[in-house]
Amino acid sequence: MITLALDSTSRYSSVALTDNDRILGHTFLDSGNTHSETLLPAIIDLLNFNHMHSDDVRLFACSAGPGSFTGVRIGVSILKGLCSGSTRPCVGVSTLEALAENLPYTDSLLCPVMDARRNQVYNALFRRTEEGLIRLTPDRLITLSELSAELSNYNQKIYLCGDGYSLAKKNLSVYTENTPSLLIAQNAVSVALVAKRQWENSPGSDFSEGKLQPIYLRASQAERERLEKETANKKI
Amino acid sequence: MSNLMMSLETTDPEQTEALGKVLAKVLQAGDFVALYGDLGAGKTAFTRGIASHLAPNDTVSSPTYTIVNEYRSGKHPFCHFDMYRIENEDDLESIGFYDYPEDAIFVVEWCEKIPYALPRNYYRVNIEKTKGEDKRSITIQRITEEENQ
Repeated sequence: MITLALDSTSRYSSVALTDNDRILGHTFLDSGNTHSETLLPAIIDLLNFNHMHSDDVRLFACSAGPGSFTGVRIGVSILKGLCSGSTRPCVGVSTLEALAENLPYTDSLLCPVMDARRNQVYNALFRRTEEGLIRLTPDRLITLSELSAELSNYNQKIYLCGDGYSLAKKNLSVYTENTPSLLIAQNAVSVALVAKRQWENSPGSDFSEGKLQPIYLRASQAERERLEKETANKKI
Repeated sequence: MSNLMMSLETTDPEQTEALGKVLAKVLQAGDFVALYGDLGAGKTAFTRGIASHLAPNDTVSSPTYTIVNEYRSGKHPFCHFDMYRIENEDDLESIGFYDYPEDAIFVVEWCEKIPYALPRNYYRVNIEKTKGEDKRSITIQRITEEENQ
């Protein structure tokens, strides 16, 4: 089944064209260009190199969040544009789950991290068995110190990945393994794998383009204002 | 810590613009300029001067309605913001403030609205109206983070 997948949730831009487990083509850029400029040319090139047309794609997929506000929206919008008018499934996956999919390690704790500024990361914890990925926590916005505290409760080796890799390596107080550089960044091949699994495991679910929504994880405005008030009161 | 770099009086908008061009020659990739001044003080004129050096083929206009104007004709992207309508960090994120490339140079008006987003090191430019319609008192400071904080 031909799948076209995108990830534009961070500074990296990635597009993949797969046929079940075969990777037909994959582009990855960390070139500082805005995703609105790089994604469509990459999609067109990958299809052309494989003598295909978007009509040949059976499944469309993207990381729908968490991630940068602009990046998430660009990916979701492009996907919606590509799917629009067709009945083919359009699957948005968690960026963090696709990141965990990069990591092959079993008997380990898989810890994707994305920079969310102010010493916070988007994160979720996973484990891998022969059956596949198991999710241990929901996607969340968490401070690096809270994450350190949580990670210290686990005995397994910890593998990090994601655009927050260097940030986490530098600031987490627990020991983490070194992840090979090829496995660190957001990667549309992983997005394709996770999306296909999600689609296969949910027969009867609505994966129409209209249902695809971005996933933002920000502390709600009310909670932030409450925290600011508390800090201000402490100073007095 | 703040270092006073320059304190001058200008007598017309052209001089304000010229002073902007002088600052532009010092600016490097990733720099941030916080512009303070009342309505009509000359923030856009000053920015026009900056742009004449950093984005010479572009025409600068006020970002009051657009919130941000991007100029890409120079070596680095040059972005001119007006934060007046930004109420919180969600607003700031939604205009893509955090998504620009690392080498982008920012000139930002109404930084009073975004104190949490100011970088550790930046230029602070104050444009004040003095006696006389066209006269302005302009101060340029370099603000750097205290090392022992």
